[in-house]
Amino acid sequence: MLSNKTVGASLAIVASTALIAGCDGWMGERGGEVDITAMTAEEYAEYLVLETDSYSFEQEAQEGGSARDRMVQDGIQAACSLEGEPDADTAGEVIAMARESYEEPPGGPRLGNWRRGAELARSGYGYRIGHRNDDHGTREPGGNCYACHQMDPAEELYGTLGPSLAGYGATRGTDSSVVNYVHQVVSNPHQYFPCTKMPRFGHNNFLTEEQIAHVMAYLLDPESPVNQ
Amino acid sequence: MFKKALLALPVAMAVGAAAQAGEWQDPNDVLQNLLQNNPDSAYLHQSEMNIMMMPDNPALWLIDEGEELFYAERGPNNVSLEGCDFGKGPGELEGAYVELPRYFEDTGKVMDFEMRLVHCMKELQGFTSDDPAVARRHGNGSDIMQLTTYIAHQSSGMAWNPPLDHPEEQAMRDAGEVLFFRRGGAMDFNCASCHGDSGKQIRASVLPEMRNGQEWTKAVSWPAHRAGHDNVRSQNHRIRGCVWQMRHAGIKADTPVNTALISFWNDAARGEPAVLPDLKR
Ligand code: HEC
Ligand code: HEC
Repeated sequence: MLSNKTVGASLAIVASTALIAGCDGWMGERGGEVDITAMTAEEYAEYLVLETDSYSFEQEAQEGGSARDRMVQDGIQAACSLEGEPDADTAGEVIAMARESYEEPPGGPRLGNWRRGAELARSGYGYRIGHRNDDHGTREPGGNCYACHQMDPAEELYGTLGPSLAGYGATRGTDSSVVNYVHQVVSNPHQYFPCTKMPRFGHNNFLTEEQIAHVMAYLLDPESPVNQ
Repeated sequence: MFKKALLALPVAMAVGAAAQAGEWQDPNDVLQNLLQNNPDSAYLHQSEMNIMMMPDNPALWLIDEGEELFYAERGPNNVSLEGCDFGKGPGELEGAYVELPRYFEDTGKVMDFEMRLVHCMKELQGFTSDDPAVARRHGNGSDIMQLTTYIAHQSSGMAWNPPLDHPEEQAMRDAGEVLFFRRGGAMDFNCASCHGDSGKQIRASVLPEMRNGQEWTKAVSWPAHRAGHDNVRSQNHRIRGCVWQMRHAGIKADTPVNTALISFWNDAARGEPAVLPDLKR
């Protein structure tokens, strides 16, 4: 797998070739001077994403910055752009990157209100752009946990991309090691599951620390329907 | 990092299957065969209602309208689309849809179906980007969807067989594979996050697995009447929907990222018969 740096450097060369050739479309137009067959598939893909005006990059992203920022990969996204499971070296690197960037919330992880957590776990609203952009001013974004996990055993609609979390707190309790672990997983699960499909809700600022506390309560609070 | 050995497998099978799969078949017959051959596929069998409705697929209603549009003399230049070459020669539609994207000499680039259709509507008929005929890409009422359904229907039952002989076709397909696995966006997703395993569900939807050719041929068989939208949708519309759910940046129409993804996903269904038009959830 190419490192970000290599791709970046070769892209700069590619882009300047196109510029010199005065090519106003993307390469491949008649007379385009960029030789795509000389690029690796990774270089060409990176070129397509960043240099061909294929995306509505100028759009604002809800978290701040532009839509373009969403498509520039960070270290974990680049390392995990693979098919199947990461090899041992990649897994090690990903775990190290995840640990290094992990931040505990001020005062340490805590449990919030499980009722608020239940709403957040169900809601798939938030951060969608391109068309029908989600407006965080009118509706709070959620964590969409049910898209991938069973949680409340009485709930019938749930996804199976992740393991069932029904009764999660009932079997584990709420001592600080459990609370710390769940925070680490929800904030950046690659610390334990390198290249997992689960999003980094804390690291990506997808959920606020307050929201994460509510979701954690939904999972761990003995009163929560997840643990009945 | 990609499993090259796995890739070779569907190609090898395709050679055998393609011999019988060259014939046009009614989309419902194609579907029935897929269902019979894959009794355990939760994806293929997920909606009994859609399977029952398939003979009366509302997408079939668009075919006649599309045919009329294709042969009508239209646009500022007042010509039909019979001069449009989708890769098999001007006006030759049989089997054309399953052999796209491909490299076109006249434009010097690899084009996917919709890109090519729009190219012809502009170059031959003289429409401009602002004309509703090409500006409106989605919905039963759009010219593009009516034409797409008519033209795609001429390839029903034929095996997906996008050409890879031209180096740019191969490069486009390979870049599409990289894009399929390229993580990004606010949720760190790539396409494989949801289409990497068979029988997994996201909420209530059973997801098709990309490396499972008989699931994937149905997955990429668009145009399809999408019951939940009560409209016929295109391959490009499906990409738009998944990209939106992924929290990636939106992809614009007629751009090479679309072409690359379609090059790869049609290739991933290589050798398997297309269901055109299909009916989906
Ligand atoms: C895109 C799918 C997806 C979404 C959305 C998702 N998860 Fe996960 N989650 C997973 C997967 C997959 C795993 C298993 C880790 C692995 O092997 O990759 C997991 C693991 C976990 C675990 C660890 C279970 C253990 O073994 O201890 C917890 C806790 C968890 N998820 C909580 C959540 C919460 C809370 C949310 C919502 C804020 C959420 N997940 C959203 C896919 C998802
Ligand atoms: C967050 C999960 C998710 C991601 C990531 C995702 N998809 Fe999908 N995809 C879905 C869902 C849900 C459906 C609808 C399946 C259904 O309703 O049966 C779907 C449907 C499809 C279909 C048509 C199958 C059908 O029956 O509707 C194709 C083809 C497809 N996706 C390709 C892609 C591609 C290419 C990407 C990457 C650009 C991608 N998907 C990323 C969730 C996802």
